[in-house]
Amino acid sequence: MFSFLVRRVVGMLVSVVLVISVTFLLMQLIPGDPASVLLGSNATPEQIEELKVTWGLDQSMFTQFLKYIGNFMRGDLGRSLFYQEPVLRMLGARAETSILLGLGSLLVVVVIGIPGGILAALRPSGWVDNLFLVVALAGASIPSFWLGLMLMNVFAGKLGWLPSSGFTSILETGDLGNLRNLILPAFSLGFVNAALVARTARSSMLDVMQADYITTARAKGLRERVVTIKHGLRNASIPIITVVSFTFAALVSGAVVTENVFALPGIGSLIVQSVLKRDYPVIQGIMMVVAVLYVFVNFATDLTYAFVDPRIRYR
Amino acid sequence: MTQYRRIDTRNSAKGRDVPGRWIGGVRRGTRAFADFATRRGSTLVALGILGSLLVIVAIGPLVSPYDPDALSVLDRLQAPNRTHLFGTDNFGRDVLSRTLSGTRITLLIGLSISAFSMIVGLPLGVICGYYDRVGLVVMRGIDTMMAFPAIILALALMTILGKPGIINVILAVGIVWTPRMVRVVYSATLSIRENTFIEAAKALGVSSRRILLRHVAINLLSPVIVQATFTFAFSIMEVAALNFLGVGIPPNVASWGGMMNEGRMYLTRASWIILFPGLFLALSVLSFNLIGDAVRDRLDPKLREVM
Repeated sequence: MFSFLVRRVVGMLVSVVLVISVTFLLMQLIPGDPASVLLGSNATPEQIEELKVTWGLDQSMFTQFLKYIGNFMRGDLGRSLFYQEPVLRMLGARAETSILLGLGSLLVVVVIGIPGGILAALRPSGWVDNLFLVVALAGASIPSFWLGLMLMNVFAGKLGWLPSSGFTSILETGDLGNLRNLILPAFSLGFVNAALVARTARSSMLDVMQADYITTARAKGLRERVVTIKHGLRNASIPIITVVSFTFAALVSGAVVTENVFALPGIGSLIVQSVLKRDYPVIQGIMMVVAVLYVFVNFATDLTYAFVDPRIRYR
Repeated sequence: MTQYRRIDTRNSAKGRDVPGRWIGGVRRGTRAFADFATRRGSTLVALGILGSLLVIVAIGPLVSPYDPDALSVLDRLQAPNRTHLFGTDNFGRDVLSRTLSGTRITLLIGLSISAFSMIVGLPLGVICGYYDRVGLVVMRGIDTMMAFPAIILALALMTILGKPGIINVILAVGIVWTPRMVRVVYSATLSIRENTFIEAAKALGVSSRRILLRHVAINLLSPVIVQATFTFAFSIMEVAALNFLGVGIPPNVASWGGMMNEGRMYLTRASWIILFPGLFLALSVLSFNLIGDAVRDRLDPKLREVM
């Protein structure tokens, strides 16, 4: 177990360094230099030169890169060109919305996707299974932002049951009722991703339920529920965990658009604004934080495998 | 040189490796296609949707009831009716005509992105899979690219490429989806090169270049076609998202994502502006997903595990 952990931690650190390097290199490709972008067309060459020196843009790319990694380790992601605020603080202010939206949609994914897939697999080609396949296929093909708009039209516009957009911090106001604002976004984002998880859960369960040890468990006279959950689900869980961890990236991608649809003050709407304003330190900061998170999620997934399936620890 | 043709094994005894009929000629091709199309109901539906979309692409401008960009302030925000089947938007433009015009753009962009991912991904994946050292280095980079969620990488690339525009959208989304193609080609190459026919070719003194072209690449056809179909489905969804966010192709070109973006302000008053382009998008994605599934199961059922 120890050597397994060490190998995974080293692998993770390498990935983090690679992610930072790729982000840095990508941002070097942006045409024009940020100093003249910020100062505008009226700036004199001396002013631009001065700003470049202050930002260290006059140094070689390699020096800049090392400095960049150093700053990153200290939690300094640079400053926004437009708001003059540290990027990390801007991200921090918007993290609450994005985290709550992410958790909410993950909840939808797990609560709808896994039981849905299992139920469908218990009676293959039964009516539950057929209905399920249609819904799952539709779910995988519907754009989440379109679903969001349609739900908003019905539940917020026509019926008036739920608020249509916006979100105020729960940490600041202490009002848990604000969670109502996240119901529609979390559902529209979660539903489309639940489809993928459900399909995997179904096929994985179908495979496992045909195994000999399931027959043995039934022959022992175990109740069907115990057979399904303890013998079936546990063995079917590796592909399910994998696909749930994949949905992390899908949820982040979806959140960028969903936050925009529902006017949520999250990190997803921040990156869109930054792209429109060409505020590249913010774009760079968000890319990096998200990719590093992704690496961590993969790491956590690997650890979960080892927990669920003890054989993996010895590979 | 032996001719490599696909063998039809439908009639062969199950579990035994009996060569079936050769597939060749137009009539047999048609029969094979008919068989593929009718094996599952869903494939037939998907091909029906795709066929309709292609018809729209081909004759869309001829049957389009109005000029998709013609403004008519008097007719603004009309609900679907006889003269405007899909209604009109806030500038009085005909939603049906704009949706049809968006079909062309969408399929064109999707096709270009799939082609881009194949042209770049296929050679890169083969080389990485065949030459261990290259693979070791390049695949690390490819995996790193895949650590960025698709839309975030696409947004960053749009910033790097500069102005919004069709070519830039194709490049940005193409670059996002190419690493996935490389991955598929790479893992397929790894397993193909373990085959005895590769060993035999090497023993006969066939050059590496020839092995890659004649023996490896030809066997990659199925996974590449399947992946390209899925790339198509994902990429048109992503392009629509970029257009919806206002960073894709310029708003003066009618696109499904752009229409949905413009219709947001009128969601409760005129939801048809958003409903129809979204429906077309969902149906297109659905048809490509279904066709991808069917082609995968048809060409190589083993792929189900890796794709």
